[in-house]
Amino acid sequence: MKKVRLLIFLLIVIWNLGNFIQALALLNHNFLFAFPILKPTYHLVCHQQADKLIHVFGTSTLLCARCTGIYLGGLFGAFALIFTGRKISLPTKYLLYSSVPMFLDVGFVMFGFYSYSKPVAFLTGLLLGSVGIVYLTELIEKFLSQKRNFTE
Amino acid sequence: MKRLYPVLIAGFSAGVFEIVPMAKSLSCCLIIPTAALFALYLEMKSTDRAEPFDISLGVRFGLLTGIFAALFGVTIETIVTLITKTNDLVESFPQMQQMLETFPVDKMTRSEVVGMLETVAEQIKTVGFAPLYTFALLVNTLIVNSIFGIIGGMIGVKLLNNKYYGGK
Repeated sequence: MKKVRLLIFLLIVIWNLGNFIQALALLNHNFLFAFPILKPTYHLVCHQQADKLIHVFGTSTLLCARCTGIYLGGLFGAFALIFTGRKISLPTKYLLYSSVPMFLDVGFVMFGFYSYSKPVAFLTGLLLGSVGIVYLTELIEKFLSQKRNFTE
Repeated sequence: MKRLYPVLIAGFSAGVFEIVPMAKSLSCCLIIPTAALFALYLEMKSTDRAEPFDISLGVRFGLLTGIFAALFGVTIETIVTLITKTNDLVESFPQMQQMLETFPVDKMTRSEVVGMLETVAEQIKTVGFAPLYTFALLVNTLIVNSIFGIIGGMIGVKLLNNKYYGGK
């Protein structure tokens, strides 16, 4: 169980590092060669509107504030899960509850109740991401245990 | 073949949605997981399924939906690019070039990266097809869509089992 959680965490670390590829290129210029490949890759999961990207050390992320929040939330959640030894079982309603602030924010911005705010988008994404990863880990573990039972 | 209809339909719909600009920016990473859920729903309706789904079926359906969405999406995008001789890369190239020009890296690295992008953008503008770009796009889309499809398939199983099979 711990190995699976560690693997999930590592995969999310890699995904998040890709999001900050421009900042990483400041540390090692060779990372810039990955930029032309990663930009369209992250475009598959995010609109990448320039005004919604997060700026770090004079560079910008590849994902918007909301998506960055979701994946960083996933990273924090996955990290916390490594230290939680027990089996997890989360009712579906918590996933739905955690997505409510994000969808409300999307709706309010879309209908002009207030203008887009990066911190709000980031935080609502962070909430969904951190709950979502718990849920996803539960499903992955369930799938693997089903597979194990089937082969035994 | 008939068993593949749900994933084919869902994959095709997602592939089309992935290249429609408005739909793409509104739903971004939700398209593929939703398509996987849709594929499971179609399977449930078409077979009058009496028993709950197990997660491995969700994974299989999600994976196949992701793969088909990638294949359809890249094919449609390639055809559209061939006709219009422009795409996201060409449109965002000036912005990317500007970003790279101001990027604090050595001149050689910068010119090599810009050169790479320029070659691809030029090929698209003149012939409407860049083999390297299309190959990279296909590989990326296959990987990303498969992962998001599997996630969608697993969540879809849980949601459908909760709604139609009393949470089994």
